[in-house]
Amino acid sequence: MLRDIASYVLKNMKVRLTRSILTIISILIGIMAIFALVSFGQGLSSYVNQVGQEAGADKLIAQPRGFGPPGTSSTPLTKDDLDFIKKTNDISEATGLVVQQAEVSLDEDKPGKWVFVMGMSTIPSEQRLIDESFGGIGILTGRNLKSGDKNKAVIGYNYQFPDKIFPKELNLGDKVFINDVEFRIIGFYEEIGNSGDDSNVYLTIDDAEELFDVKDEYGFVYIRAEKGANPSEVAARLEEKLRKEKGQNEGEETFFIQTFEQLLETFGTILLVLNAVLVIIAGISVLVAAVNIMNTMYTAVLERTKEIGVMKSIGARNSTILFMFFMESGIIGLIGGSIGILLGYGLAKLGGFFAASAGFALLKPAFPWWLIAGSLLFSFFVGAASGYFPARAASKLKPVDALRYE
Amino acid sequence: MKGTIIKLDNVWKIYQMGEVKVEALRGLSLEIKKGEFVAIMGPSGSGKSTAVNMIGCLDVPTKGHIYLDQHDISKLSESDLAQIRGRKIGFIFQQFNLINTLTALENVALPMLFQNTDRETRLKTANRLLELVELGERMNHKPNELSGGQQQRVAIARSLSNDPEVVLADEPTGNLDSKTGEIVINFLGKLNKEGKTIIMVTHDANVARHAQRIEHLKDGRVVKRS
Repeated sequence: MLRDIASYVLKNMKVRLTRSILTIISILIGIMAIFALVSFGQGLSSYVNQVGQEAGADKLIAQPRGFGPPGTSSTPLTKDDLDFIKKTNDISEATGLVVQQAEVSLDEDKPGKWVFVMGMSTIPSEQRLIDESFGGIGILTGRNLKSGDKNKAVIGYNYQFPDKIFPKELNLGDKVFINDVEFRIIGFYEEIGNSGDDSNVYLTIDDAEELFDVKDEYGFVYIRAEKGANPSEVAARLEEKLRKEKGQNEGEETFFIQTFEQLLETFGTILLVLNAVLVIIAGISVLVAAVNIMNTMYTAVLERTKEIGVMKSIGARNSTILFMFFMESGIIGLIGGSIGILLGYGLAKLGGFFAASAGFALLKPAFPWWLIAGSLLFSFFVGAASGYFPARAASKLKPVDALRYE
Repeated sequence: MKGTIIKLDNVWKIYQMGEVKVEALRGLSLEIKKGEFVAIMGPSGSGKSTAVNMIGCLDVPTKGHIYLDQHDISKLSESDLAQIRGRKIGFIFQQFNLINTLTALENVALPMLFQNTDRETRLKTANRLLELVELGERMNHKPNELSGGQQQRVAIARSLSNDPEVVLADEPTGNLDSKTGEIVINFLGKLNKEGKTIIMVTHDANVARHAQRIEHLKDGRVVKRS
């Protein structure tokens, strides 16, 4: 029975080919958009989880509170703060990072690019803490900064490629000018996955302090909790102690301390909310498609009124007629959904490719099986649900009236 | 009532058309025995079509009773009516009313699908019936590839597919020229000889004379039997 009804439905769709195709396109667009967007959302969550695991559960980060880009607050954390943090219970180590924006150029006279320049510790264990905090990266080529380095720079992954930051790629030993001071490249970092961080420039803390004329001011303090300590408890305790040390009232602190998990969650939540908003917008297009399917099905019922009368007169029950039209709109949904998933897959892959080449390797779509199955089910459901009222109208037609319909 | 297949007992059908009440049937009584070939004749407005709808279980009366095989069908639900129609009555329409998207074979098999007959039996039966109406060569053609006479023969085959007790033909020759009409009527006569009860509605006396008995309808009731 199912097979014969399906074949009848497909024949009818073939007879009204243009209309069927247009209706299918209308649902296809929405499903394609939702599928692609959700695949990015999925990729993003798994990225956040993965980075969260790599960064480990033992790290905290202290930042000045305030507006503007990270690390540019007017009330930075100080050397005193860092020393206090280091001495606190349950903290195994901590390191401060000088963060400034600076113009980096290849020639002394030519205008350059504005990027973040970080002054970092030359102590290897503190450098490891920073590396881990950036998602477990390390030096890709060359070497890291070490004590005694003067006018040496380690730079981000993206500098290795032409047209990403500068028209030409940079190599080990090349010269760059940072705020018109000459530095020599001694190493490249591995890829972090977003074009901001992959454009960073790292100097020794002494060079950075001299270059920017600052002393003992940190944009970030990375902290490692003792083994076995609960990071969020450590963070809360440390925040309270540092507040008292600095003589600030609760709620008026010039700094805040988060665990990496909290930090990633915040970051992930923002992106996922953005993703959800886009999915909702795509959902509106599915709603429009549902109205379109309903319209198509009402037209089909009208066109086939006499046919419905004939079928009823030769023994079709109301439920059979209902099922037939229900199937038809469901099949429209299913076909639209299948094509939508294929195109959505292509779109997501393409989007992921462009995002990666633009330096956002973290925007990598993921296609779990439930996304594919769920999209198929959803599209069938949308089709069937939109066909419900037309199908019911068809099934309720009186055979006598339907037969007389011209 | 032994031998009676259909009995209409004082059947009234009243339509409400806006403010006006139209009495299409006014106490129609009619009895048809198994194996009869009955023609129902009458001018337009005589209630012929309404009578066909009643006999064919397509509609229920406002008043009175209809017995099909001694069961009162006047009070059945629409779905039960559909089942009974499909099993006991075969329809032949003036305009053939084949499903255009289906082939002749699929059209003939369709009533069996609604009775949940298995696929193999459906195709075998449909095949045999199309051979019977001498359309064995054209079973994979769609209705629009067939002539009017051929379409009506497909419709005859379809009306027989659930082996119904009654074949109800509503102006079966109305859309055909006289020669093709003759062929169609002869098929009905042949079916009758094989034991089927045939009820045929027509306004054409030449067609009606093929029947054993003619019921003349006027103003919603039988005025003459011949």
